[in-house]
Amino acid sequence: MTYELLQPVFIISSALIAIGLYGVMTKKNMLKIILSIGLIDTGVNVLIVAMGYLPGGTAPIENGNYAVYVDPVPQALVLTAIVIGVSVMALALAVAMGYYRKTGTLELDKEGVMKW
Amino acid sequence: MVSVPPVLLIALPLLFAFFAPLVNMWSRKAVKVYTLLVLILNATLSYLLFANVMQNGVVYEQLSGFYPPIGILLAVGPIGAILALLINTLSTIVYLTYFGEAENSVKFSMLYMLVTASSTGIVITGDLFNMFVFFEITAVGSYGLVASMRTKESFEGAFKYIVLGSIGSAFILLGIATIYGYLKTLNFYDIALRIDTMPPTARLMSFIFLIIGIGVEAEIFPLNGWVPDAYQGASNRVASFFSLGPSKAGIYAIARLIFTLLPILSGWQLALLLGVFTLIIGELAALMQEDPKRMLAYSSIGQMGLILIALSLHSETALIAAIFLMVGHALAKSLLFLGVRDYARGTLRNPLIAAPMFIGILSIIGMPPFPGFWGKWYLMKDLASQGAWLIMLVIILTAIVESVYYARFLHRGTGGEKRKLSRSETAAIIILASLLILVGIFPNYLYDPAVRAAASLLGGGP
Repeated sequence: MTYELLQPVFIISSALIAIGLYGVMTKKNMLKIILSIGLIDTGVNVLIVAMGYLPGGTAPIENGNYAVYVDPVPQALVLTAIVIGVSVMALALAVAMGYYRKTGTLELDKEGVMKW
Repeated sequence: MVSVPPVLLIALPLLFAFFAPLVNMWSRKAVKVYTLLVLILNATLSYLLFANVMQNGVVYEQLSGFYPPIGILLAVGPIGAILALLINTLSTIVYLTYFGEAENSVKFSMLYMLVTASSTGIVITGDLFNMFVFFEITAVGSYGLVASMRTKESFEGAFKYIVLGSIGSAFILLGIATIYGYLKTLNFYDIALRIDTMPPTARLMSFIFLIIGIGVEAEIFPLNGWVPDAYQGASNRVASFFSLGPSKAGIYAIARLIFTLLPILSGWQLALLLGVFTLIIGELAALMQEDPKRMLAYSSIGQMGLILIALSLHSETALIAAIFLMVGHALAKSLLFLGVRDYARGTLRNPLIAAPMFIGILSIIGMPPFPGFWGKWYLMKDLASQGAWLIMLVIILTAIVESVYYARFLHRGTGGEKRKLSRSETAAIIILASLLILVGIFPNYLYDPAVRAAASLLGGGP
């Protein structure tokens, strides 16, 4: 793995994760919190895809015409993680809808989600 | 003895869960019976697997036609077999209480089977990413179970659980990515074999990521803020199910992390610190609660902290203590959550409920001759032999706090009107209490498997 090549990706993904964590910890609006979770997920996924990258690598499809191909395992992991992320987000939105129907608001109680 | 392929424990309930709507179309009443039969089948299979592991040692099964480390490997060791048996048997008993309800939701039964299957999957898998997937199935199923009450509290609890669960799964992924980046493998054995080639900082980083991420399900500080809200918002049956299934699978994953995956000293110290924090915060918060269900949830957090302390000591006696504490906590807490009601509604006015709940409380506090006592006894023995007086002091002080708030619970629970319970609820509570008495009076039936589990884990196996 060439570390210099990955450095910009590290910066982008840690920035996404940090923004997401900040949003989850400070916001009280359910939709904003859900968006923040999406940012965290994206940051992690970017990092994992980048880890399998090789300079000049092609897609890992077995046809015999390639010399260098990228690692397929991180891509498989990220595909799984994306599917899980989407379904969790759909569920979170459904729960937010249910909460709205009961209370008429999307704001959580004053302490927000990190209340102990 | 027939040898059961471990994959059946996951595949059958998953398959049957998706057939449940078809059964529902045929007859609405049949769904409960159908689910109970599936759960009984799974409990039987997990018993056969347990007997097989105790007789022949670790059972391996390779899936999907590829050889490990590329293909997925299931590896059932003694501790996995104990927990698979515990989860499947107790979830069957807790499901019995659903027969006393007028409500008949096919979705609830499906989610229940799904979470049982995926919790079992966590304790029998031998592949890190596979474990992540089972964690996610458990989590998504659990979110649904919390939200299924459709009250404001349950939506709020479910939302907090979803948020913290998503952050936790991002952390697990980061930990997996760190390990994969250095070792290019996800198989537990492969990782354990080559872990020394990873730089120490990267090892500690991935340990921190994984313990924080898994800590969501295992109710370990810092991502356990969902516990009181979700337990309060969920129905009693679901709270009881959580304390026997997902939380035990989570703590098993932490045990694998500490013993097989990343056995590093700095990691154990960190785990010990998290355990002590979790114990103190949980017990002190429980002391301040007015609502009995919330109090029990915080007490659960404290107990999970105690189990984490036992695991992070990394010795045979402490590991045996951890197994007794896990079994004791699963039995006692699922009993208490089934029986608990508001103080005004007279939790303890019915002797058929009060007596079993008293037994559960005695076990949690650590009174002989119940499993909780044996757990705390072995833990104290190990701490004394290591000379860890400060931790002993913390455990004794928190035990005093524990007895104070449970005494208050007993005192206030006797007020209010006399309470009626359905026959199935009473039956489940009495069965759980008699299991507590049996394990307490005959600890050898658990002690021998626990010794094997300790030997296997300390030897680097599953």
